Amino acid sequence: MDAEFINTYLLLVTLTSLLANAIISIYGLFFKPHYTKKVIALTILSDTMNTFAIYLGYRTWVNGVNPRPPVLTSTPTEKSISEFTARAVDPLPQALVLTAVVIGLAVTLFLVFLGYILYTHYKTLDMREIKKLKG
Amino acid sequence: MRRITELAVILSLVLGVSVLLVLAASILLPGIEVRQLAFFYLYTTINPWFQNYTVNSPEAVTAIVWDYRGLDTLFETSVFYLALIAGLALARGLFSETPQGSFNEKTHGLTTIVKTVTRVTAPMIIAVGASIGLHGHLTPGGGFQGGATIAVIPLVFIVVYSTLFLIARGVTSNKMLVLRSIGLLGIGFTSIAAFLIGLAIGRFAYVFQNMPKPGAVVGLPADINGALISGTLWFFNLFEMIAVAAGFTIAFIILLLAGRGGSGGR
Repeated sequence: MDAEFINTYLLLVTLTSLLANAIISIYGLFFKPHYTKKVIALTILSDTMNTFAIYLGYRTWVNGVNPRPPVLTSTPTEKSISEFTARAVDPLPQALVLTAVVIGLAVTLFLVFLGYILYTHYKTLDMREIKKLKG
Repeated sequence: MRRITELAVILSLVLGVSVLLVLAASILLPGIEVRQLAFFYLYTTINPWFQNYTVNSPEAVTAIVWDYRGLDTLFETSVFYLALIAGLALARGLFSETPQGSFNEKTHGLTTIVKTVTRVTAPMIIAVGASIGLHGHLTPGGGFQGGATIAVIPLVFIVVYSTLFLIARGVTSNKMLVLRSIGLLGIGFTSIAAFLIGLAIGRFAYVFQNMPKPGAVVGLPADINGALISGTLWFFNLFEMIAVAAGFTIAFIILLLAGRGGSGGR
């Protein structure tokens, strides 16, 4: 087996496991009765989606040379810049994911506080119980 | 009839999976080239021959976050702030009673070993966080990451020393809110810095401008005495670091106080 085949195989393994991760977290989000577990499933789902977004900016290996992070580590000359643009991965998904992570964190923070209110109000975080109580 | 249906189902499944495989081979596998937009970002992030388009930051992600798409990040910061305010509003009845009594080294917190180790490592964690935050325009990292690292300190101190220790040292949620507001004000002023300079000297300048642009020659310096600061990026990272560290500290203080003095939970 050549190196390219192994690279492709490993990339597809990553993708498949991301997909499985997304499916499992959606299942947890809808069918787990406990509030905390729903929040945990939501964070796993958002992290999976962020990894998908980063994957969109990835580049393939060329002749056994891996893509580089979008950080120029040498002094900017014409040669180093053209080498950098030829091998660095797409920085835009990473920047958007940075934004998404912060907003996901803000949502999680809000949900945690909401969970605390729910607990003090109903004395339980089991969604089946909370659904029955009404009001 | 039934056999025909089964055949159709199997046939459509086979054809659909084949289509998915073709799509997977052509779309899901990354190509050799990146998109044109990404090529532009990578080519101009630090480029002395394109002075009108460059950000003068070797870190393309920070350049996008705070320069090319700066407004996004400004609103992201305000979303985080709003979530924090919402949390404060939700928890206002829960931590109205601050824990009474003063901090006692002997009775509060964990053992002496843990306390000594915490004392030794705390400055190191702050140094690492500041390094991540303030080198955000040179290496992977930035204000948010640095601030999140620094915010570990109050959490560790709450666990190891108790909340009373933090309150005795003056780290209260109100003071942290002030610190967070200072960070946000700093971000706001940095975003209009070039605009204010332009107003002062009577030249045209944009809001959220960093380096000089065509038609707007006002810009912030890329380096101070040879040390690269990439114009506004360094200041953005500094203020974002302050704001995020203070914001996380508020969240930890409220959550841990609410767990203790709350009216309902045990």
